[in-house]
Amino acid sequence: MTSASIQPVILVRNLTKTYRVPVRESGLGASIKSMIKRAYSEVEAVRTINFSIEAGEMVGFIGPNGAGKTTTMKMLSGILYPTSGDINVLGYIPMERHPAFLRRISMVLGNKSQMLWDIPPLDTFRILGEIYGLSAANYRQTLDELVGLLGMEDLLKKPVRNLSLGEKMKCELAAGLLHRPAVLFLDEPTLGLDISIQRRMRDFLKEYNRRYGVTVLLTSHYIADVMALCPRVILIHCGKLIYDGELQGLAQTLAPFKLLRLTLNQENASVGHFDLPYSAEIVERENSHLTLRVAREAAPAAVSYLLTSFTVSDLTIEDPPIEAVIDRIYQEGSV
Amino acid sequence: MVYLRLIAQFIRASIMEETSYRVNFWINLLHSLLNLTTGVLGVYILFAQIERVNGWGFPAALAVLGVYLTIQALRNLFIGPSLDILAGMDGEVWSGNLDFTLVRPVNIQFLASFRRWHLFALFDLILGLGVLVFAVVRMHEALTLPNIGLFLLTLVAATGILYAILLAFSALVFWSPGVMFTWIFDGVFQLGRYPLGLYPGWVRLALTWIIPVGVITTIPAQALSGDLSMNQLALILLMSVVLVFCASLFFKAALRRYASASS
Amino acid sequence: MNHKGGWALIKSSWLSWMQYRSFFFILAFGWMIPPLIYMLVWSGAAGAGSLGGLTSQEFIAYYLLLILVNQLTYSQTNWTVGDVIRMGSINHWLLRPMPPLYNPLASEVAGKVVTMVFVLPISSVLALVLHPELHTSWDRVGLALLALAFAWLLRFFWGYWLALLAFWTTRADALLALQDSLVFLLAGVVAPVWMLPAGLKAAANGLPFRFMVGFPIEVLMGQVSGQALFIGFGVQTLWAAAAVIISTIVWWLGLRRYAAIGG
Repeated sequence: MTSASIQPVILVRNLTKTYRVPVRESGLGASIKSMIKRAYSEVEAVRTINFSIEAGEMVGFIGPNGAGKTTTMKMLSGILYPTSGDINVLGYIPMERHPAFLRRISMVLGNKSQMLWDIPPLDTFRILGEIYGLSAANYRQTLDELVGLLGMEDLLKKPVRNLSLGEKMKCELAAGLLHRPAVLFLDEPTLGLDISIQRRMRDFLKEYNRRYGVTVLLTSHYIADVMALCPRVILIHCGKLIYDGELQGLAQTLAPFKLLRLTLNQENASVGHFDLPYSAEIVERENSHLTLRVAREAAPAAVSYLLTSFTVSDLTIEDPPIEAVIDRIYQEGSV
Repeated sequence: MVYLRLIAQFIRASIMEETSYRVNFWINLLHSLLNLTTGVLGVYILFAQIERVNGWGFPAALAVLGVYLTIQALRNLFIGPSLDILAGMDGEVWSGNLDFTLVRPVNIQFLASFRRWHLFALFDLILGLGVLVFAVVRMHEALTLPNIGLFLLTLVAATGILYAILLAFSALVFWSPGVMFTWIFDGVFQLGRYPLGLYPGWVRLALTWIIPVGVITTIPAQALSGDLSMNQLALILLMSVVLVFCASLFFKAALRRYASASS
Repeated sequence: MNHKGGWALIKSSWLSWMQYRSFFFILAFGWMIPPLIYMLVWSGAAGAGSLGGLTSQEFIAYYLLLILVNQLTYSQTNWTVGDVIRMGSINHWLLRPMPPLYNPLASEVAGKVVTMVFVLPISSVLALVLHPELHTSWDRVGLALLALAFAWLLRFFWGYWLALLAFWTTRADALLALQDSLVFLLAGVVAPVWMLPAGLKAAANGLPFRFMVGFPIEVLMGQVSGQALFIGFGVQTLWAAAAVIISTIVWWLGLRRYAAIGG
């Protein structure tokens, strides 16, 4: 398979997924009616999405709840069949579920567990080793490395049900990486974890990606995860891809305004009112500290106006915080 | 060989899981004994009132109960627990944990059929075989080697039929998650506690051709007591092969349907 | 008492359960199976004559009634009470401004309605097809309804106090399985109580289980009359009163333990 090295690791063309969901109204009457006949409606979970991912990339897959992220990931891993469109992962068509393909991908889900609940992680790992056909030496070596990297030596012999959420997540990651996948699908891996464990997870993933060049597609609602790990993000909303590029670029392309923070000299501040130019708005005001929001293209003119009209002791121009931009996109549903 | 090694690992993990709750042992023991008592008394009470029904006497009916208990034990040994992970209450189809099963690079039907073992069922197996042997001795039939051989052959075929039906019923869950289709079968399977000959003609036909519960329990019992006809032997062997084959096809179709319809 | 709240609870349980109606239909189907088996077996055994005083058609009537009575008095709620206590959802019960008993009662009523939607049509069809024969009188109908009400009270509270043992031990539901087995043997399912062998019959007359299912049907069919009727009602009332008193005591002791140890 020489073409695989030239091709991107993941290639998605015109991907679409439609499924049926039962519809039910509330109330007793509707409940009895639904006994006889259930109504269904069609939902377009994913609508003609295109993207490609190169080997070793870490890509953040973001979008509000129900945007179609998980559905797309399931299609990439061969769990769901696309309604239409083409997917190629590592040179395979995922829906064919070729064993050689399945041995090279892995899935870690923050809200689901692949560990056996009542027995220690080591025993789940052993079963996974058999399932993925790892040789004893291979299994030992990989496990030792993962256990070292994740710092989980003392978890191996406790029943999983007695572990904390963070400890369980370490086990999930180790279970997912045991067969050294080339592509890793991570769905909300930091869900419900505390700040310092979130950070340790990120450090681990970063280090693992650096060492082994694994390709990672990550969904997360914590922008901090995406900022720390993913130079590139793909944003989907209502099943449509609306942005693909750098995270910082997202703010520049999507947020049509800049934030100007300025500190005025005391005498000017006491005047109490400003003649604001270029439809700028005051976002915050605290004594002589002011934050203004100005349309992106009007920012240079506004700055020169402020500098000539007032005695300004300090002035910075910033992009709005990424969370605020994303929040606006999620709410408005478009760019 | 890979699959045998996997089964060994599954058995190992199942033992660890079961022994992690000590009280389960006593609960299992209670259930086994209740099951044995109600089963035997059910047959005994009937034949305390009447000596023969349609040619069936107490020991012959008890032999059928013995096969019923034996096959139930085999079912509870691995078929039932494994399929329950997939399609039972809070099963993977319902909870969504099926995703992990689907990305495994092994045959999914194999995983679905062999991954959980309930070794306590071996105790039930002994009880069932005990009832069977007791009944055959009471019939004043000698346990001959050919009959034992035929019995084991038909028992394997019967287990195959049971497996095929359970697999097909479990696969229905992909169409309606949360519906306990195997419970429906469990209800019907209880009819196998008694010889087919005790039921009215239309029930007998249904239990032979529609849901072959009667075939599963009555034929192996007759094999052990030497009352097996060639036709019956051919029927159970053929039925077993055909049903296992069809159920596997149906299971594959169900997996495809899940992948193309769910969210 | 907060009757409006109770009604709202019943309605909400019913609404959420109609979403899982197939689950309840399957449960109800499972409960119908043992009586159906014994209907077929006994009516077949009676043949053209009679057995234990009943003809084939009378056996059919007996077991059709048993399906209904068993369904009406079977308390599926008690299987979940243990989970409610173990998982700590009992906190919701305790936080609501109404007596906690309203919660299991609400699901009891809602469950009955859902299962009856399934059971009534099926037993009607069976009655049309199988031609049951029943000789009774209005007096006996009245007395049987009274016995049925007590049977429900007895079976619900008897199961309730067993379920409440979950305050002390995690697997109290094993005792419910034991109760089901005893009902099967002693309450007229495996055979009408008057047809049981002497030892079992004596146990049935003294223990509470016969009065949970079989007794109302015996009253209706005129199998108990005169002094036996009087004694029967006496024993049933005593057991029902005992069940209510034991439930109350176990509830308060359990709650004290729960408050001391926490969930």
